[in-house]
Amino acid sequence: MASNVSLKGKEKAGKGSKSSEERSAKCVKEWSTWAMKKAKVITHYGFIPLIVIIGMNSEPKPQLYQLLSPV
Amino acid sequence: MGSSVSHAAAPPPPLPSPSPPPSSVGLAAALPPKQDEKAEPEKVDWLNLPCPIPFEEIQREALMSLKPELFEGLRFDFTKGLNQRFSLSHSVFMGSMEVPSQSSDTLKVPTAHYEFGANFLDPKLMLVGRVLTDGRLNARVKCDLTDNLTMKINAQLTNEPHFSQGMFNFDYKGTDFRSQLQIGNNAFYGGNYIQSISPHLSLGTEIFWLGHQRKSGIGFAARYNTDNMVATGQVASTGIVALSYVQKVSEKVSLASDFMYNHLTQDVTSSFGYDYILRQCRLRGKIDSNGVFAAFLEERLNMGVNFILSAEVDHRKKDYKFGFGMTVGE
Repeated sequence: MASNVSLKGKEKAGKGSKSSEERSAKCVKEWSTWAMKKAKVITHYGFIPLIVIIGMNSEPKPQLYQLLSPV
Repeated sequence: MGSSVSHAAAPPPPLPSPSPPPSSVGLAAALPPKQDEKAEPEKVDWLNLPCPIPFEEIQREALMSLKPELFEGLRFDFTKGLNQRFSLSHSVFMGSMEVPSQSSDTLKVPTAHYEFGANFLDPKLMLVGRVLTDGRLNARVKCDLTDNLTMKINAQLTNEPHFSQGMFNFDYKGTDFRSQLQIGNNAFYGGNYIQSISPHLSLGTEIFWLGHQRKSGIGFAARYNTDNMVATGQVASTGIVALSYVQKVSEKVSLASDFMYNHLTQDVTSSFGYDYILRQCRLRGKIDSNGVFAAFLEERLNMGVNFILSAEVDHRKKDYKFGFGMTVGE
């Protein structure tokens, strides 16, 4: 009886330590997936405006109307 | 295709005369004979070999001649430069696009889209972005981190989940070798290395690993080129053997041929094509062992205005594709 109780106690302690490592790995995975999703949305909406901003600020600076007119 | 076959049958433009004109006796005595200069081979500096072509461009001459961007329908491209480095592009396409289908019939879907693009080209940084009306974004970034190290990013982002793709490339250029490391989504890792063995011959190898499908592969490539010809060969563990040969017949004409064998699907394809680069136009045509005849013409109507005609006739599948378009702007 005493040995059974001690065995059960050891098993519970083993499971506890494993689950904390698994939990931290899962946290990192969830955070990185969340970060990649946000980065994808930001790139999707912001890449072309980024190029336009960098281009309009390069030398020689083009005028704003040149962006829209076909000439 | 009638036009491509008739062009192939037409006599090629006369080649420039290779031999020097016979000189008079007095001149021959005064000048040193030319034959001696040609007979003596140039000394090879084995420690100073030229830098080889990047591994993914090893077949670029053959691809340029044999695989032009054929399309079906109307295509209109307008490129407006605001600056020496910054330009915007507008592109309209109306026509049929092929949808891959399980049966042997080709499935065509009529599509029309407008594409807006912005390019920023700097010697050290290149940013190219294209966005379509259905929300797809094509982005390319090339950045020179140092003199020898280059980083390239290539991405296609879509609104549908799980369909986006991205790839990071890191290139290192040495004095006579190039190496590249690739990291892509779906846990794709790849690398390649190419080395100049002699002034004309370079050998390369590549290796890749797909994480999600646990597939890996290795391949070898060789490229031999002189001033007038390029011969390449590629073998991969995915069961593909690809050979190509391009001969520059004159300044304006080059002929190319290509052979591909897929061991797993027992598929053999061979094609033969020509590339005429004339003053006002560029004409490319090819004949395939699958019964495909294709031709692509780019005609320069005026400064910056190009007229494009594209034709692809597949006799085996009875699929005929004709396209026309115009490109305005540099």
